[in-house]
Amino acid sequence: MNCPRLKAWLEERYDWEGMKRLAKGKLIPEHRYDLWYYTGGITLFLFILQFLTGMLMAFYYVPHIDFAHKSIIEIVTKLNMGWFFRSLHHWGSQLAIVFLFIHLFGTLLLKSYRKPREFVWLTGFILLGISIFFGLSGYLLLWDERAFAAVRVATGGAGAFPFIGGFIKAFLRGSMDVTGDTLLRFYAFHVAILPILTLGLIGLHILLVQLHGMSVPLSLQAEKRREIPFFPNAFYRDLAIWLVVTGVLVTLAVFLPPEIGVKADPLAPPPENVKPEWYFLFLMQTLKLFPGSILGMNGETIAILLVSGAILFFFLIPFFDQKSARGEKSPLFTWIGVIYLLYFLTMTAVGFLS
Amino acid sequence: MQRLAIMGKFRIRVSSVWPVWRMAAAILLLPVTAFAAPAAEKIAKIAVFPTAPYYIFIVYESLAVFWVAILGLLVIIRMKLREIERVQEMGADREDPDAPLLQ
Repeated sequence: MNCPRLKAWLEERYDWEGMKRLAKGKLIPEHRYDLWYYTGGITLFLFILQFLTGMLMAFYYVPHIDFAHKSIIEIVTKLNMGWFFRSLHHWGSQLAIVFLFIHLFGTLLLKSYRKPREFVWLTGFILLGISIFFGLSGYLLLWDERAFAAVRVATGGAGAFPFIGGFIKAFLRGSMDVTGDTLLRFYAFHVAILPILTLGLIGLHILLVQLHGMSVPLSLQAEKRREIPFFPNAFYRDLAIWLVVTGVLVTLAVFLPPEIGVKADPLAPPPENVKPEWYFLFLMQTLKLFPGSILGMNGETIAILLVSGAILFFFLIPFFDQKSARGEKSPLFTWIGVIYLLYFLTMTAVGFLS
Repeated sequence: MQRLAIMGKFRIRVSSVWPVWRMAAAILLLPVTAFAAPAAEKIAKIAVFPTAPYYIFIVYESLAVFWVAILGLLVIIRMKLREIERVQEMGADREDPDAPLLQ
């Protein structure tokens, strides 16, 4: 399809040829670690799918304590393919967070955060935090007893944070306990506030990546390597990977549709062995390691302070790793990255199995 | 008339005895109903996947067709990519500034 008149129309108004040259001129380095480049693209693709399936469900979801649970049951049982889109949304969120973590640890271990890409790292890290909050807020919308108990524990944990914990807890819940106000608040976060923040940050993240270009690992910088154009070479590879991810996502959605529990009852005791979503398990296990009181201070508060400190260090790692910024190898930060990764994986596995 | 009178007496007798029987049955069946409660809860589990065999078959069939389509597209993309790389290796994709322009 050539469409010369359309091309001429566009050329008259915008620099169409210039844009084509820009797309063809963008080069991607080819090396043995270049598979990591595609994890960002997969995450972006999954975000787009989440937006689409979320919009479809928003047509039918009712954010009210009396109707929320019922409306989800109706989406699943009465709507044509409703069960499929809900399952797709559920598994899309799980896979998006999995790929976000893979992308994060890949960036960390390859030191792609080093100068001048500090802001690329910071925007990506904030996006991970937003995605986790997306997961938590979306989990409550189901309004079943497990989601209710998990959100009560999660918001209660935020309350243990010194000085501002009470404010965070009240802000998240909208009242003293998890109530209809919390549901409405989480709905507003899930469908309005977080998507706007996500869109803005994704735009900024991609813009910064375009500005700085793809990072090459320090160990390969001296080597002579080939560069391929983003369009069409890398674009077609991205397309192929997205197709496989779509296949995996659809297969998971068909074979493992998420269950719907009993409607939440704020007066009922919490169900046995309630666990948060898998990406909170490491946090839950860490809190379990600490005794109730340490030197007269609340053990949970100390644990939350330590975890927050570790996350803050992780967030600001490009500013601590000065050797990488100078283009030198920094094995200390590689080990720090490996320890973070092992701790996260071990605690998640222990939390899952216990 | 006599038959109607007998029926009336019988009805009175039954209706006077019936609440007692009902209560006794309820007390006797109480453990049974309590025992059956978890089963009732299990039945109430919400179906998150089509339950009719016909629809289940359609879902699995569609999934198989979907994977076939994905594999087909992957093959097409691979062929296209090879062709692009072959053209790039030949240098045929680069524009020649001295090439005569055919109008």
